[in-house]
Amino acid sequence: MTGPSCGRTVLIVEDDADTRMALAEVLQDVNYRPLHAANGAAALQELRAATTAPCVILLDVMMPIMDGKTFRAEQQKDPALSEIPVVVLSAHADLDTAAEQMQAAGFLRKPVELGALLATVAQFCEQE
Amino acid sequence: MENPLVQDELSALRASAELRAVTDSIQDYAIVLLDPQGVVLTWNTGARQIEGYGPEEIVGHRFDRLYTAEDRAAGRPQTLLAEALRAGRAHDEGWRVRKDGSRFWADEVISPLRGANGAVEGYVKVTRDLARRRQDDEQSGEGRTVLNVASVTDYAIFMLDPQGTITSWNLGAERAKGYRADEAIGSNLSIFYTPEDQAAGRPMRLLRRAQDEGRVEDEGWRVRKDGSHFWADVVITRVNDRNGKLIGFAKVTRDMTERRREEEQLRQAEERLRLMIESVQEYAIFMLDRQGRVASWNRGAEHIKGYTAQEIVGQHFSRFYPPEEISAGKPERELEIASAKGRFEEEGWRVRKDGSRFWANVVLSATRNREGALIGFTKITRDLSERKRAAEEMAERARQQSVAAELGLYALQSGQLDRVIERSMQTVRETLQIDDVRILRAGESPVPGARTVRIHAPEPDAEYGFLAASASRPLTANDVRFLQAVANVVAVAMARSQSEEQLRLAEREAIEERGRSVRIQEALLERDEFISVAAHELRTPLTALQLKLQGLESSGGLPPPKGERLGAAVRQTERLARLVDRLLDVSRIAQGRVEMTSESFDLAIIVRQVAEDFREPATQARAALELQLPEKLEGSWDRLRIEQVLVNLLSNAVKYGAGKPITVKLEEVGDLVRLCVADRGIGIAPDDVDRIFGRFQRAAPIRNYGGMGLGLYITRHIVEAHRGTISVISKPGEGSTFVVELPRLSAPAAAGRDKVPRARA
Repeated sequence: MTGPSCGRTVLIVEDDADTRMALAEVLQDVNYRPLHAANGAAALQELRAATTAPCVILLDVMMPIMDGKTFRAEQQKDPALSEIPVVVLSAHADLDTAAEQMQAAGFLRKPVELGALLATVAQFCEQE
Repeated sequence: MENPLVQDELSALRASAELRAVTDSIQDYAIVLLDPQGVVLTWNTGARQIEGYGPEEIVGHRFDRLYTAEDRAAGRPQTLLAEALRAGRAHDEGWRVRKDGSRFWADEVISPLRGANGAVEGYVKVTRDLARRRQDDEQSGEGRTVLNVASVTDYAIFMLDPQGTITSWNLGAERAKGYRADEAIGSNLSIFYTPEDQAAGRPMRLLRRAQDEGRVEDEGWRVRKDGSHFWADVVITRVNDRNGKLIGFAKVTRDMTERRREEEQLRQAEERLRLMIESVQEYAIFMLDRQGRVASWNRGAEHIKGYTAQEIVGQHFSRFYPPEEISAGKPERELEIASAKGRFEEEGWRVRKDGSRFWANVVLSATRNREGALIGFTKITRDLSERKRAAEEMAERARQQSVAAELGLYALQSGQLDRVIERSMQTVRETLQIDDVRILRAGESPVPGARTVRIHAPEPDAEYGFLAASASRPLTANDVRFLQAVANVVAVAMARSQSEEQLRLAEREAIEERGRSVRIQEALLERDEFISVAAHELRTPLTALQLKLQGLESSGGLPPPKGERLGAAVRQTERLARLVDRLLDVSRIAQGRVEMTSESFDLAIIVRQVAEDFREPATQARAALELQLPEKLEGSWDRLRIEQVLVNLLSNAVKYGAGKPITVKLEEVGDLVRLCVADRGIGIAPDDVDRIFGRFQRAAPIRNYGGMGLGLYITRHIVEAHRGTISVISKPGEGSTFVVELPRLSAPAAAGRDKVPRARA
């Protein structure tokens, strides 16, 4: 669920640094404010530390330390965080099923096309 | 109706001492006078000899005692008298009883004697002992068997004086010779003889013999008054006075012409029978006496047993039997059975003169005389050796056939060639009782004198070898037939073994092939897994690469000429992404993980859109794109995958269309929709048509055309997942037409699917 107050902050949870950086770069190019996390645990820390809640979380599934599914479960357990929509990001063939199981708001199949990424993120965030 | 002559005769018989002497002197006939009640009045010499009574013992007694008890009880004597009275004559043949109680077979004629007033005054009974007569006949060799005795009317009875002058004459004489008494009396007896006999002095010679010997019998031609001849039986008896002085002769003559004719016929019949019996070759027909000594011998007997009549007549018949049967008393037992039951029949071994045996059918019949006394045996023997041999041969053949059939069954059940061969050899040895049998393979030669039969191979005029049998005895046609039957069993077993060997080889190959195929399957699975993993691994760096390049381009790009290079990098990245997507599609299809999601849409619109997307590449390939689409064609399919099919077919057409026009045609055919994509390019060789839907298979040489050859494979699987068909019609050099037919309502709803559009292949 998106709130108008969330602004243009986007949390990127992705273990591959290059991908994480590429996502952050292209979002930054169109004036989003990307936050980074290399795994689920780091993402939870980031969220709890953040002053502004992101309007959407882009969540990778396969990650070390805490994978996407565990993160999503933790997030849903935390009332302060549970309302933030999640878009699952994966190269896996079963992405759609996984997304459904995780009660995600959507999914993006890797390799992510720039147009598709921006269109998806735009659904959850305030327009400029 | 009284015949005065009869009465004269009666008076004469009663009155005349001479006539009394006549009847008295006759020895061969019992001539007896009876009174009307059957009491014996006179008794002659013949009666004494035949019946055994002296006149003093019988005269004055009833004649009944001459009959058997049974006849007396049945009233036979009275019946005969009544018969004589009624018919003028009673003729009987039957048993009579002598004084000593013994019986004899008698021929008897009783005639009534009537007085002047016609009243019965008595009877004349003339009786003859037939058996005695026959014995006499046999002794004298005259060949006569029976002599009928007739009444006085049947006999010429007359007296002669010592010079042969006729002194009395009776009715029988008149009947036989045709002279009346007045004509005959006073004549010499020679008037009854033929001129030849007269010339030869026969009448007087006979008289002299009667005078010297007391009695003479003669048979011969005599002459009647009318000159005709008759065959006469003559007995001349010397008649003496009380002092023993010759006073004349009694002569009894009987006309035997008829009898002689019958006898002649009988004799001829007997002769014919004898000749017939003698000439029979197939049967040994011979007589044995009561002790079993050979009494007669025919040609058949000589032929079958090897003895001539001279060698065997008088020998005991047991020499025809094998020694063990002689010692077991078989010949005697057979005689006993034949005499007790009349007949004995058997089949058994008999021995020829040369010691060889033959299988005989033997019938032994007891031969009896008229009195029922055993006089010997008739034996008929037939040589059944040939028949027995034929029967045995049949039986042997049947046995061999059954043995061969059993062997065939064994071969069928066993199926092991070496055991079938072993059993076959054993069967031949045991069945034919031979020493050596073996199988000769090609090139082996049989031992000298061996009989060989062919072991046929299935091919015409071909053989596996030969079955060779050696025996000390000659092998019969049956034996050879049996050998061939066994050889056929061996042949079938060999043929079966051969095809089983081929089958085993084929099976081994099939197993190996299956192994190879399993390994290939495993390798393919491994590769699919690898592709899947690789594709996923590729996606992560691609994501970064693609985003960075696209981000660069979208954020204003770079100044020329670097901007164009960036554009190329972006396009190649997108192409790389599409290839990775295809790889994933293929691995999913290979692993059976394609899921269809149906939705209703207008296929015409989709075809138009995809074709529109190809407008530019087609133009670049200088190929015109021609569309033949209906206004609207709605149905239910997996929209994204149908798009994929269209893209694949169109990209193929552009790629291989050689710049010639491409036609895309969509139409409705019954419940189906048909999509045709036709190019006029290089086409596909017939051999390749089947293969082009295979994975990584491309008909075109790989160096001429790029791409990974996955398009048609994916296309086929998508079409089939929609329960449709895809086919191609193609000629090299003339182009290819791909035809896709889909049911209008096809794909079932699949569980789950992408919620956002994926990149198109």
